Amino acid sequence: MNELLLTLLNFLQQYGYPALWVSVFIASFGAPLPIALVLLAAGAFAALGDFNIAALALLSITASVAGDNLGYFVGRRWGSKALLWLAQSKSGQRMLSPARLERSRQYFARRGGWAVFLSRFLVSALGGVINLLAGAELYPYREFLVLDISGEALGAVIPLTLGFVFGASWDAVGDVLGSLSLLILALCIVFISGVWLVRLARRIYAARRAKVDALQSGGQKISVSGALPLDPSVKPQSSGQLPPL
Amino acid sequence: MSERVKLFIVGLLLSVGLGLAIFCTIQTVQAVQRFQRERQLAMAGDISTLRPWMTLPYISRVYHVPESYLYQWLHISNPQTIRHVSLKALASRFNRPLDALVKEVQTAILSYRKAHPKSSLHPAPTHGPPARRRKA
Repeated sequence: MNELLLTLLNFLQQYGYPALWVSVFIASFGAPLPIALVLLAAGAFAALGDFNIAALALLSITASVAGDNLGYFVGRRWGSKALLWLAQSKSGQRMLSPARLERSRQYFARRGGWAVFLSRFLVSALGGVINLLAGAELYPYREFLVLDISGEALGAVIPLTLGFVFGASWDAVGDVLGSLSLLILALCIVFISGVWLVRLARRIYAARRAKVDALQSGGQKISVSGALPLDPSVKPQSSGQLPPL
Repeated sequence: MSERVKLFIVGLLLSVGLGLAIFCTIQTVQAVQRFQRERQLAMAGDISTLRPWMTLPYISRVYHVPESYLYQWLHISNPQTIRHVSLKALASRFNRPLDALVKEVQTAILSYRKAHPKSSLHPAPTHGPPARRRKA
């Protein structure tokens, strides 16, 4: 168990609810604090009567939503200006052109919701960055708030309940949750890259097929006039065969 | 970027993802096994599950030893000031090595169990001050 976690737990045991609120708020803004473990421990303390579990849940949800909103507004206030400046400056245009910035905003508006929701409880280490990014990309605030509250509710209730149920074994539960969330992340990478690979392979196959078809039709026209096909490696009569990748 | 390079990069990403997934599966299985072992020990009240984050009232309730007994054993005269202090903070407050303090508390639990053989099977009598719920 690391020193930072022990310090946070000591802070929680000595100062109670305000300590939890402050820790969760700071972690939600983006500080790398092991807050899921703190919530597991708080659930375990609640099981023995030190805290009220409902009050813990309410406090941690309000603290994390407040921290996330601060991150969102910082991103919206300064992050969007920074991106705009980057897109308009001469040196920045190499990395981020105005057209690319607009495309990324549209993409985030379409797909960013999942990132906002999942980063609340599944990959909470990315939460702070996603908040800043959502603000900088001018993601609609109402949607952000709804996804944030629902995600943070899960992010608070899951560890608190597990800590409450498993009591003194909460640190072992924390290890299971940590490795499980990494496993889910790895499976997401496998799934997404698998989908990309299939799409890319289909695109390449379709492009090659179109090329061969074009060559075939070209070859047939030419062979009618008595000339040789353009590419000698491609046989005009064998329509099913494709050249290797 | 040509399609062939893209294909190579995505293939590499897939391989890394698969490797990571296998590694994380093994880690998760090991963590679950560790959790099951720890849970069994904790349920049995094994003193090896004592941790530096525990406070004396917490230890009292988990291991069914009266708080007052622990305070007496550790020669703590004013328990109200340290009720919400973890063993780690207690060790630094009293300038004692943490391992020595943990061992001392473990000895106290064993000694109480020896003197009261039935106490580990039933909830402890609350000789010390009752568990105080914090106000929200």
